[in-house]
Amino acid sequence: MIRLEELGPCLQGIVPAQIATCGRDGEPNVTYLSQVHYVDPGRVALSCQFFNKTRRNVEENPLASVLLYHPLTFEAYRLRLRFEHAETEGPLFDAMALRIQAIASHTGMTGVFALRSADVYEVLSVERVEGFLLPRDPALEEAAPSLPAGPLTELRGLQVVSDRIARAPDLAALLAGALEALDTMFGFSHAMVLVPAGGEELVAIASHGYGEAGLGARARLGAGIIGCVAQRRRMLRVAGVGAELRYGRAIRERVAASGGGALPPELPLPGLADAQAQLALPLLAGDRLVGVLAFESRDPLCFDDWDEAFLGIVGNQIAAGMDRVQAVAADADGGAPPPRAPPAEGRRRVFCYYCNDDCVFVDGEYLVRNVPGRILWKLLGQHRREGRTEFTNRELRLDPGLGLPPVKDNLESRLILLRRRLQERCPDVRLVPVRRGRFTLQLDCAVSLVEKECG
Amino acid sequence: MIPAELVSFLESGLSMLVATRDARLSPDATRAVGARVEKGGAELTVFLPSATCAEALANLSDNGRIAVCFSRAADHRSVQVKGHALEVREAAAHERGRVEGYLGALAEAWGFVGLPASATLRLAHWPCHAVRFRVESLFVQTPGPDAGAPLGEVAGRAP
Repeated sequence: MIRLEELGPCLQGIVPAQIATCGRDGEPNVTYLSQVHYVDPGRVALSCQFFNKTRRNVEENPLASVLLYHPLTFEAYRLRLRFEHAETEGPLFDAMALRIQAIASHTGMTGVFALRSADVYEVLSVERVEGFLLPRDPALEEAAPSLPAGPLTELRGLQVVSDRIARAPDLAALLAGALEALDTMFGFSHAMVLVPAGGEELVAIASHGYGEAGLGARARLGAGIIGCVAQRRRMLRVAGVGAELRYGRAIRERVAASGGGALPPELPLPGLADAQAQLALPLLAGDRLVGVLAFESRDPLCFDDWDEAFLGIVGNQIAAGMDRVQAVAADADGGAPPPRAPPAEGRRRVFCYYCNDDCVFVDGEYLVRNVPGRILWKLLGQHRREGRTEFTNRELRLDPGLGLPPVKDNLESRLILLRRRLQERCPDVRLVPVRRGRFTLQLDCAVSLVEKECG
Repeated sequence: MIPAELVSFLESGLSMLVATRDARLSPDATRAVGARVEKGGAELTVFLPSATCAEALANLSDNGRIAVCFSRAADHRSVQVKGHALEVREAAAHERGRVEGYLGALAEAWGFVGLPASATLRLAHWPCHAVRFRVESLFVQTPGPDAGAPLGEVAGRAP
């Protein structure tokens, strides 16, 4: 008999599985399955959200026949199952529910479709369906994907990533170094780190592979794959994102057709619009969420169990590193008051702060909002009034007007975001770190400051 | 009875899942590779690849009960048709064109959702058995709150 563990790729949901059941009255039923989840060598769990007939049938007659398909070879495998029990809480339920919650929220269906139960089945047999495919035609075959690197290479790669994290002098260098090394050593070409930005929001302060578009990407707590990972503090891997979203949209259309009322809009994917696989994991320092590390790929089979385990280790290192550099930066604050600066020359840029919306525009274009916006406004104001160019993290921390929380204020992250936004939208104005806890405001232009009530 | 507006949908390049069961109510899942609506929607013939349908044929000769789920990959629009087999026979040579046409349409439909045609075209599809059955009930199977409801109960809306 084939072992269930050998069917890992078939359980990723890329090609939907099908299930046949039979009621007590002898009427067979067949439908698609959205998730077949490996539980242990002798059991699988199937997700139950809408498949009412299947559920009624197995309560009357526990036997089921499931066909699974290998997403690359398309070989079919038949599982003979016997329904054991349904779980509505606990780790198995949580793991399966998280994935459904993420997809439901992406398609504006939060609360409309959710996991009702994780239905656990005993696996009676696993067999390959003989004769399901015709012999291979070499003319139609594509090149086989290359095999992953061996364990020694992996270990050496991990050492490089770990070194970058351990030696990073500040948060920006730590995140940029780690993401770059993950790409160079392991080919994780699209990655971002998002941090809590106050309230219900997360914002990307480092990204790799997206160009400028990745910075400042936002996710709401509990919404989408990243938001769900942040809320539940669990790793989530979704293969076949396209298929999962089509499934969510199908439900959305049925709900809309049933007069389901106004539905919230779909959420765009945070990075690649055509991502086919996503893996996101919480970055935890103790029990505190310091961020979310998220990866995307256009290859639906990009992430597997190995990636989960490996990136789990890397994620822990990044989280500990983030905690370390932020603590060091907070300790290193202070020192003598900074000197006055000569007035800036050159062209003029107009910064406008909209008090009601708490955001800053430059030359009529949105730049940044909330705490980073207030920080920028404070710096530019002090520069105009006092001619100052050098500032300390400490004085920002001590300014109640900025609205930073008294502990774990993420000031470093906010400064990185502000620095990056300026780099993108207004490179004439720069915040350049000079040493720990201290930075200068550099201007290649004259600056006008305007304050308005609303946008 | 299959309504006229469903005929072209059921005969297009949809995924076709088939369930039968044996005398002890043990179900079997397999796939079909083409369908033809007959007798004005009162009957349906589905084609099962001979390479993989031995168990389904044994079940049908025991009790004749069959369920077929038709599903469109692009949007999951799905319908399930249930009934009793009236005739099971080897498919005739002239039916091969319909089966091969179906597989081409399926490869195209699955191509849109990312499955390479080279994989779809490897599905065993000939020789086939043709199973003609009396249509007794139709159900909406599109995922959602009314999945599994009889088609008549969600009248006025496409499945």
